[in-house]
Amino acid sequence: MSTTEHDHSTTTRLSLNLDGTDRTADVDPRSLLVEALRDDFGVTAPKIGCATGDCGACTSRVDGQITKTCLRLAVSAEGSQIVTTQGLAEDGELDVVQQAFWDEQAFQCGFCLSGMIFAASELLAENPDPSEQDIRWAISGNLCRCTGYEAIVAAVRTAAARQREIPQRG
Amino acid sequence: MSHGTAPRVSEARPLAGSSVRRHDGDAYVSGRIGYTDDLSLPGTAHVVLVRSDVPHARITVDVRDASTRPGVLTVATGRSLAGEYGPIPNAMDPVPTGGQPLEIHVLPVDKVVYVGQPVAAVVAESLAQALAAAADVKVHYEPLPHVMDPEAALAADAPLLYESWGSNVMLSGTVGSGDVEAAAARSAGVIHGTLRTGRGAPAPLEPRAYCADWDARTRRLTWYGTTQAPHPLRHTIAEFLGLRERDVRVVAPPVGGSFGFKNFGHPEEYLVCVLAVALARPVQWTEDRASTLRYGARDSRLAYTASYDDDGRVTSVACDMVANHGAASATGAFGMAFAGSLAMPSGYQVPDFRCDYRVVVTNKGPWSPLRPFGKEAGVLLMETVMDAVARRTGLDPLEVRRRNWVKADQFPYVTTTGLELDSGDYEGLLDKALTVLDYAAFREEQARARGQGRYLGLGVGFEVLPEGADIPGALIGASDISTVRMSPSGDVTVLTGVTSPGNGNDTAIMQIVADRLGVAMDSVSIVQGDTDICPFGFGNVSSRGILTGGGSAALAADDVAAKLRQVAASMLHVDDAERLVLRDGFVSVDGDLEQALPIAVVAHALYTVGYIVAPDVEPTLESTRTFRMRNIRHHADDDGKIMPFSTFSNGIYLSVVEVDIDTGVVDILRHVMVHDCGVMINPRFVTGQFTGGVVNGIGAALTEEVLHDPDGRQLSTGFKTFLLPRASDVPAFEIQHQVTPSPFTPLGTKGAGEGGVACTMASLLNAVNDALSPLGASITELPAVPHRVLAAIGGGQR
Ligand code: FES
Ligand code: FES
Repeated sequence: MSTTEHDHSTTTRLSLNLDGTDRTADVDPRSLLVEALRDDFGVTAPKIGCATGDCGACTSRVDGQITKTCLRLAVSAEGSQIVTTQGLAEDGELDVVQQAFWDEQAFQCGFCLSGMIFAASELLAENPDPSEQDIRWAISGNLCRCTGYEAIVAAVRTAAARQREIPQRG
Repeated sequence: MSHGTAPRVSEARPLAGSSVRRHDGDAYVSGRIGYTDDLSLPGTAHVVLVRSDVPHARITVDVRDASTRPGVLTVATGRSLAGEYGPIPNAMDPVPTGGQPLEIHVLPVDKVVYVGQPVAAVVAESLAQALAAAADVKVHYEPLPHVMDPEAALAADAPLLYESWGSNVMLSGTVGSGDVEAAAARSAGVIHGTLRTGRGAPAPLEPRAYCADWDARTRRLTWYGTTQAPHPLRHTIAEFLGLRERDVRVVAPPVGGSFGFKNFGHPEEYLVCVLAVALARPVQWTEDRASTLRYGARDSRLAYTASYDDDGRVTSVACDMVANHGAASATGAFGMAFAGSLAMPSGYQVPDFRCDYRVVVTNKGPWSPLRPFGKEAGVLLMETVMDAVARRTGLDPLEVRRRNWVKADQFPYVTTTGLELDSGDYEGLLDKALTVLDYAAFREEQARARGQGRYLGLGVGFEVLPEGADIPGALIGASDISTVRMSPSGDVTVLTGVTSPGNGNDTAIMQIVADRLGVAMDSVSIVQGDTDICPFGFGNVSSRGILTGGGSAALAADDVAAKLRQVAASMLHVDDAERLVLRDGFVSVDGDLEQALPIAVVAHALYTVGYIVAPDVEPTLESTRTFRMRNIRHHADDDGKIMPFSTFSNGIYLSVVEVDIDTGVVDILRHVMVHDCGVMINPRFVTGQFTGGVVNGIGAALTEEVLHDPDGRQLSTGFKTFLLPRASDVPAFEIQHQVTPSPFTPLGTKGAGEGGVACTMASLLNAVNDALSPLGASITELPAVPHRVLAAIGGGQR
């Protein structure tokens, strides 16, 4: 019960474009980016499964690059444009990868979805017709404890096929 | 009678057996599902636990400095709480079966028994403040000798974790019947062997998180957290705090994977309650990965003697199981040793069988329940014995299994451990697997490969999983309650006591209800995991969500359907309500859509003009029903055996591996899976359970092992040191289903939540040994990590 001391660990002002909106919050400069997103900006789509860069649950797209946000300090993202799975849907419409993950039952508990969905999106941006092996390698930076990966691979394949069929949006 | 041209409803229930998508999948894929740690109640205080650095010591904890740190609200220790609070309730108690009493406190009062055990809880305004203050908690350790190995813990002079027990054995017992020694003496041959499993861990991707909120005005506690079992947990929290159950509300938000770990009985579940009551504000604790990995499983040694005759029939098996439980826990995890023993001798006819098991405590972290709840021990044992008999007799391993299996016409079949197997067609499983994998062609390929210095192996794993448990004296039951209600607009709500750890049982229960009421999926919603709203239930445990949750929802939906028929009969002027069919959103006479009413119209009519359209019908479109498995038996038979399991799903796997004999790396080339869990409500969800189980099994067989150093420190504290398989480590699976309905469940379903783990462990073990056989080498310990494989090769012919 402290009365004399005050812990004013100085906070730092952090400005981001988060899921399409300019946002500002005061963050503890020691915070990981995932902690700031979740605790200070209230965007909880990125999860903390390990905080050591091994599971991918914290993945978001930072300035176009998929990023394990537990591996970056929040302050290093000043001015960045960050997209989480919450911001992937356009006008409430799921993107092709999200839709395929739903249709193919590519998740159970869903805790791994941020990592899996972003890894799949990045793969499809580079390779519209990935092989099974390509898909497995692309998502292998992420862990899933529930699905055995089989349905995730199927969903990425479905997303790829659908993406090849439909002309790109915008 | 309808006419050929008249529009008719669909012939069959459209949703049964169909792989509809998760009802709330869009919220999942767009990151809008709120797990426990995503909640933030205003004014939440944060908990950081100070943990023991040593494996075994008497402790005194000095919290004076920490208490004065900025933002600190309180620092609790075992001593500071002991006056007010006793031990936490046990999910299962070993005492009635002759075991030792467990006294697990929210924080240890005077001694620690494993590295990483929480010794103090620092609560502060912010997590950062709690973390900073935790560094100032001073723990004085008076070290005691520690013991990590269960066989060493059995020695007469071993240090005792719990002195009052007089030994380190928490529980021991024997299952089986007959006279194994006599049977072995009259048999053609006898095999001795030992199998070991390394320490695994449930390791769901979401760590545990608990938040308790005490409302001092209403004197009511609300608990949010990662739990599979809201109602049992409410019962134990109320008991622990001395509250009435009605004054405790347990809410279980969506869970990020459980696998048994998030059943109930963890000290922190109760710790947050104590702290919330003390501070009269919400108190939250979220663990880190290292904490999650402190809870383990398996870590067992099975020494066996099996006898056989020249025709390959196994005549007896005797097994001595020593299970390393680590520290004691209140989660009921010790039951895994008992379940593993009962799961023997699997689906084989072994006339004389005995397993002696001992659950031993050591200075590792506690066991946690972990799917398939110990049954992998039974599967590994029997599949090892079958292969050993094949080697001795020169018979093919598949043939040995065929000769020993319970035959399809022998069900229900009582095993020598007293379980009454419900139904099955084990040979059918194998036949199906062989349509996928050309066995003779593989053997040729294997021979060719050996000529080129490549070591391929094929292994069989067969499992029978006792599931749907009802444990006498414990809040683990083979029954559940569901309510189904229809609103005036025809909207259907299902309230059920079963919860979903993410497996989709909520969607499957909605399918069952929608079919029975003849409405579309989107007319149905479901509520799970809130003790203020849902009827009592046992949550998700022992693979019984669809059996009992689905079964009770089906009964309740049938009641509502009957009511709708009665009302519609009156509205359509039909004498026999039985002629009315509920399907495709209509109540129709014999399925004729020209004599039909929308279901929503019938519902609305009952609520609004019931006195006119159906004056004799009780105006309620709601029913609450219980479904209980009827093949459970708790009265002991003449042999003293009970029947605590209600379904027995089964499967056979064929694994093909290549072992690199220079590196010891095992590569899985093919994994053929054939499963039988009876009728599948949603085949895709069921398949997902199995593929998930398979990868758990691959991890347990090849990579996952929690290691400790000689000083008792846990070396595996994260995903770099506890290696879960990744997508690139596993092949595409070749999956088949066989459907042999359970005669004891209304829908013909069996459990599906534990499948795949055990028979994958067995098929991989056997495949590796098949690959190594030309070298005269074999492994007897899982996981088959490279150093173990190389050691085996080194000990073989080379
Ligand atoms: S939380 Fe960032 S990788 Fe696991
Ligand atoms: S769905 Fe649970 S971790 Fe992937």
